[in-house]
Amino acid sequence: MIRVGIIGCGKMADQHALQIQRIPNAEIRAVCDSEPLMARQLAERFHVASAFTRPQDMLKAAALDVVHITTPPPSHFSLGKACLEAGCNIYVEKPFTLNMSEAEELIRCADQKGLKVTAGHNAQFTPVMMRMRELVNRGYLGGRPIHLESQYCYEFGDAGYAKSLLGDRGHWVRALPGSLLQNIISHGVSKIAEFLTGEHPTVMAQGFTSPFLESIGEPDIIDEVRVLIRDDATTAYFTFSSQIRPVPHQFRIYGPRGSLIVDDDHQILIELDNRAYKSYLRYFIPPFRFARQYVGNFKTNFGKFLRKDFHLPNDAALKTLIESFYRSIDGAAPLPLSYREILLTTKIMDDIFTQINDQRTNAHPARDPNRFKMQCLRS
Amino acid sequence: MRTMNNAGEHPAAQAAAGTGQDQSLVRADETILVTGANGYVGTRVVRMLLERGFQNVRCLTRATNPPSRLEELAGEFPGARVDIVKGNLLSCSDCMRAADGAALIYHLAAGVEKSFPGCFQNSVVTTRNLLDAAISTTTLKRFVNISSFAVYSNERIPRGGVLDESCDIDAKLVERHEPYAYGKAKQDEIVLDYAKVHGLPYVIVRPSVVFGPGKAKISDRIGTSTFGVFLHLGLGNRIPLTYVDNCAEAIVLAGLKPGIDGEVFNITDDDLPTSREFLRLYKRRVRSFFSIPIPYPIWYSFCSLWERYSKWSEGQLPPVFNSRGCSVYWKGNRYSNQKAKTMLGWQPGTPMREALERFFAYVKEREANEL
Repeated sequence: MIRVGIIGCGKMADQHALQIQRIPNAEIRAVCDSEPLMARQLAERFHVASAFTRPQDMLKAAALDVVHITTPPPSHFSLGKACLEAGCNIYVEKPFTLNMSEAEELIRCADQKGLKVTAGHNAQFTPVMMRMRELVNRGYLGGRPIHLESQYCYEFGDAGYAKSLLGDRGHWVRALPGSLLQNIISHGVSKIAEFLTGEHPTVMAQGFTSPFLESIGEPDIIDEVRVLIRDDATTAYFTFSSQIRPVPHQFRIYGPRGSLIVDDDHQILIELDNRAYKSYLRYFIPPFRFARQYVGNFKTNFGKFLRKDFHLPNDAALKTLIESFYRSIDGAAPLPLSYREILLTTKIMDDIFTQINDQRTNAHPARDPNRFKMQCLRS
Repeated sequence: MRTMNNAGEHPAAQAAAGTGQDQSLVRADETILVTGANGYVGTRVVRMLLERGFQNVRCLTRATNPPSRLEELAGEFPGARVDIVKGNLLSCSDCMRAADGAALIYHLAAGVEKSFPGCFQNSVVTTRNLLDAAISTTTLKRFVNISSFAVYSNERIPRGGVLDESCDIDAKLVERHEPYAYGKAKQDEIVLDYAKVHGLPYVIVRPSVVFGPGKAKISDRIGTSTFGVFLHLGLGNRIPLTYVDNCAEAIVLAGLKPGIDGEVFNITDDDLPTSREFLRLYKRRVRSFFSIPIPYPIWYSFCSLWERYSKWSEGQLPPVFNSRGCSVYWKGNRYSNQKAKTMLGWQPGTPMREALERFFAYVKEREANEL
């Protein structure tokens, strides 16, 4: 039995608790929140025996195997370290830490203690991402990826989260070094980090505030980012936008022999094979082949639904990640996310924020409409 | 500037409690705090307080809410002081600032998020912060807590039975999958705790479905378009409606009427239409659309099946349709507003027929503008 604790009893904690309850041999033994009412409500709704307001009390009183840290990011490092020092494995929600040095320190600490760490990059484990990874591992690309494209976008309009952010000048997201970006883009960046092989990729980022946010008096939030990443053998584009409709969450991976398109919004995986057709046949046969692939995706998704194995992709992904992490704690499987991937994601994000903040600092304070235009990417 | 009488009270404030002889709990010059003052009901509560001659109305609104409506309102009453305080009820210091010196607090701010923790935080934690601030001020005479009709259970009331203030609060709101109602029930609990432990003088108001110009939605109690076609679920049920101005009036009276501390008031208007009547009028006045009438036993069976599937599939479909919720919203009860009428001296000022016509006119105009 994996004995689980949760620190931070807000919305993310609910999502974790729902998925943990679905995992055999796992039990939430304690929850903790500095706000006693929040700790109590989570414990009450999920029938958890103990609720605490101080992490040290929880770590002392409850014998836990793993602690999920679902607090706002500024506390991830200190709480993570406290849990590791108390002998608990940790699942840290995204963004893993505020910066690279904190991430390295946490992982170093875990290694020293013989404990395990994972980050909340659950978007890596949606059903369609798992299918994509399986194909890549089987050699579908025909070699190392040549190029990657990750689009992880966002919509201010509907999301309650964005409303609470924009409605609250003191929201913790505003205080993050990367503000809104830091709380969201790790999902899209980690997809790229997984397939980079070099340790020190070059990152070239350009960020700006959308006309929409400018128009509602939010010039301090960057919500448009374009990034070019390059390492020894692979290049990548990362796009974050709050303006593109429909809001895309897509990943494309291009290899020397074949390429793949992952549409996370609709859980569709499309294979772009390197088959050649003579003359006009290239215009007639591939549409049928693509249609067959789309029907295949429908069958896969609906089949999983009928087998009650198609929970909303983010929920399904969260369960897969948590379950895989618990198996790795038991020693039955490797870590679901390599430390290299977690660290590289953090490093790329650090580089993006540094460059964007530099651009902001150097920008002329006057509101110049031309500054919204994309400039040449700079290293 | 408005004229004051010798006692220093505006004549309207003297009559605040509704009868010539009754005293108002608060004087016209005492400070009244309204949280959620920029909201649908809150704005009307502020207006009614000003119309009654209260001179110091403090309006707490979110930092980024455009205060224009309240500023316009303040402009209409130049003799009164309308303080627009921007703040967040999750901040204890904002609560202290807002509650400082208040004789009466109308707590209308609510969490209307989709998640349980979101609703809980924005209903319960915020209320606790406000209550801490309220009990620390020596001036408080009453805390009016705005709850919701949704907190009741009708499990023990037969179809057609009366739902009133004496009915049970639903202890299984998590099973009903209703974060808003859960947050409101817990909010009520914390108010009762503070009354017990700190002697908080309180009144709880539970409005039914608030409707009127400014809100175009057809209540779920009438039907739902979730499946792409309008399913008419209410059929012959009386729909517990309260016109927004009538509701605001009841809330105002719940703060002003002396001698009602510790009471709970349900607010529904008179002459409630059946769901069928409402829909027929809607189609006639606003636009015609296709709807499928679904008898309660069939809908109840569907909700029960959905709930069972949700459980079997470990939430592959969330239990948004479930038997408890179905019973509360569509079983069909009668509703009493007798207590509010008797103890508050409240009468729905806008008759139901007129309220409905105003609502339909608003929806029609809005839909025309959207085209």
